[in-house]
Amino acid sequence: MNKRLIVVSVLLLIGITLVFAQGGTEPTAKSDGPTKIEMWYNATQTEVGPLPDDWVGYQILKDRFNIELEASSLPSSTTDQDMKIQAASAADTLPDFFVANREVWLRLANNGMLADVTGLYEKMPNRTGIMFDKDAISFTSLDGHSYGFATPAMISRNEGLLIRKDWLDRLGLSVPKTTDELLQVMKAFTFQDPDGNGRNDTWGYGAFIELTTYEAYPGRRFEPLMGAFGIEGTWNMTASNFGLQIHKPEFYEYMKYMKTIIDEGLIDPNWMAYKKDDFRAAWKQGKFGIMREQNAAFAAKNNYSPFDANFPDGEWIIVDPPVGPSGKNSVGPETRGLRIWSISAKAAEEGKAEKIAEMFEWMASGEGYLLCGWGQEGINYTLKDGIPVTVPGELGFEGPVGQTYIQLRSMAFNYSSDTELISRYPVYTTDVSKKQMSALWALREMQGKKWTNSMGADSMPVPSTDLKTFYEQGLAEFFTGKRALTPENWKSFIAEFDKIGGTAWEKAGLEYAKANSYLK
Amino acid sequence: MRTQKGTLIKDIKRQKYIYLMIFIPLVFYAVFKYIPLWNAQIAFRDFKSVRYGILNSPFVGLKNFKEFISSYYFWNLIKNTLMYSFGKLLVSLPSAIVLALAIYECRRPILRKTVQTLAYLPHFLSWVIMYGILLSLLAPGDGVVNDLLKTLGKKPIDFLTNSNVFPFLVIFSDAWKEMGWSAIIFIAALMGIDVSLFEAAMVEGATSWQRVRYITLPAIRPVIVIVLLLKIGTIMEAGFNQIFMLYSPAVYNVADIIDTWVYRQGLLDGRFGLATAAGLFKGVIGMLLIFITNYFSKKYTDNSLF
Repeated sequence: MNKRLIVVSVLLLIGITLVFAQGGTEPTAKSDGPTKIEMWYNATQTEVGPLPDDWVGYQILKDRFNIELEASSLPSSTTDQDMKIQAASAADTLPDFFVANREVWLRLANNGMLADVTGLYEKMPNRTGIMFDKDAISFTSLDGHSYGFATPAMISRNEGLLIRKDWLDRLGLSVPKTTDELLQVMKAFTFQDPDGNGRNDTWGYGAFIELTTYEAYPGRRFEPLMGAFGIEGTWNMTASNFGLQIHKPEFYEYMKYMKTIIDEGLIDPNWMAYKKDDFRAAWKQGKFGIMREQNAAFAAKNNYSPFDANFPDGEWIIVDPPVGPSGKNSVGPETRGLRIWSISAKAAEEGKAEKIAEMFEWMASGEGYLLCGWGQEGINYTLKDGIPVTVPGELGFEGPVGQTYIQLRSMAFNYSSDTELISRYPVYTTDVSKKQMSALWALREMQGKKWTNSMGADSMPVPSTDLKTFYEQGLAEFFTGKRALTPENWKSFIAEFDKIGGTAWEKAGLEYAKANSYLK
Repeated sequence: MRTQKGTLIKDIKRQKYIYLMIFIPLVFYAVFKYIPLWNAQIAFRDFKSVRYGILNSPFVGLKNFKEFISSYYFWNLIKNTLMYSFGKLLVSLPSAIVLALAIYECRRPILRKTVQTLAYLPHFLSWVIMYGILLSLLAPGDGVVNDLLKTLGKKPIDFLTNSNVFPFLVIFSDAWKEMGWSAIIFIAALMGIDVSLFEAAMVEGATSWQRVRYITLPAIRPVIVIVLLLKIGTIMEAGFNQIFMLYSPAVYNVADIIDTWVYRQGLLDGRFGLATAAGLFKGVIGMLLIFITNYFSKKYTDNSLF
């Protein structure tokens, strides 16, 4: 019996394996029915739910263009997005149309996973006119062919350095102008009980680690401090001083400044463990008094409300980034903030590319534009002087339900029109303190501060995973004290960095920047 | 042959329910364990996507393995992986046995059931939730533990970003999460011990500790050995989910394990051949360890898997 059981088991196992191992792909059924398009989008509002199934756009696309759209939201974290897209690419299950950052896009394009969309621009005259200039097209071009549509993913220069003015006033301090003055204010915010609650529970600076390819570790929340030393961003994109910022002598000076802040306990000690939501909860709970924050995350009604309720007398002001020892300052590197919409090669082979272009064009003009940007007139918004205004209640495009209907807003907006900005960031009165606020006012003020033009920095070559790990780990170890910050240790760290690929990375960057005329 | 075949068919007809019962596990192993073996050849190829076929991907021999072994982080990855695996084995296995003994020895049924239930509940929490709990407890700024330390006049400890403390955090948080669940198998083994042995020992005047030492532990020794052998087979699995949730660049030197490196190389950098080679390397090491420990276990304890 035992032997027989074993024989049968093995035969079954082989049989099942052979059956399943056949794999293969489903033949593409040709029919006169609607064209099914699977789309992975980046939700405009990650805090609320995905685009609901009853979104009227689905029916319009079906009736008007014979398109059956299946839209799925990507995870909110870009790392998770990259992972999902990369895994789908390896398994050849990429959706028909999806958004990705340039690093992932480049790998997919080089692996032949993306459709050549060069000929589709002319089929989208309105969108191309608004969004796809020469630079945007070159952002997605390889050997003269375009493999995606580079669309604006964010408003340019939409972050700023903020400080608690009510804390400054209570302690009799003025707005700091230099890095030394900023340090003194941090100390006061940490040790002089700026909120007057009698407890030692506040810190000078607050941040979390938020990296992009063009921002140096520990990321954009520290860029105003790096800017004071002239080493903001991963790359210095000037022709006279091009290179990786980590190779500049000023980087060491910045490290020393950071070490002072960390060693003296002037930064919220949770900064390395915080995720974005933790950081945002922390400033609303009054844990620190200086930060770099995004305009809407700070000033939009829903985002500002908890702070307003907790601190009706509290007040954040946007200040100039501090000036460093050699007179430099900057909020951070400025790029165009483009993300790339791509059509998978498989979708193009199945004849879906032109349908996708039709849908993409519809979303950028007229009815589609309004529907994606603000929802349905009379339900989610009303028009006042040609500008959409949210309706009161949950269904208004600013309400918790209404927000779910405008999850595709980033596909439609070009972020440069005043109509969009006025509508998106209305003036409002806060619930508790009755202050007049607008995220647009905050944006305009932030945009007026000094930024560093780093166009092209977001498309520079990326390092190998091991080099990236070495870079981030090394800097983190200097911050935590695992490596002592001395000139000798720093020198040996840079030497090791260069040895495992730093020099080659910089060289590749120079060649790329020259070839693409990014050097200024 | 005809006779044997005929007998087999008769046997299947006669014992159809037995054969039916093995069908589901066989399907499971075929689909999830054997079919994926076909894809393991990716480790020997420059693989980009299934779209172009695994067989159409250029064969590169041992290039991916060489690259993994010559990676800047190779020895650090091996060191960390083994440190966590053995650390978890050394802490979680004894703690599960101790917990099982404590529950078994507890004479109050309500207390026993309550402790057992509370002990295995954390097993059902994901590491995402556990990270939230650990952050609330251990955050250097306002974590409960650090608040307590500050109240006692001590300096707060940055548990999550201090490379000296981080390994202990990983090992003990894993033991906390899994101890109750792991204890179940030992509790089951304890339930199978003949009660008359304890009664006889008590008549002879054996103390509680002597009963544990001379009856309980020897009785469950085969189960302990089997559990140990099974865990040795997965010694290169140091717990991806846990470390992935807890780690950050500040502790990469003590936190990065083969699985987190594979994640970054494979899923984030798109180097699937290299990632598969690292995974295959892990599997081969695990299989060798199973054979070696099984051999020694058979030789010295009379207990073995096969």
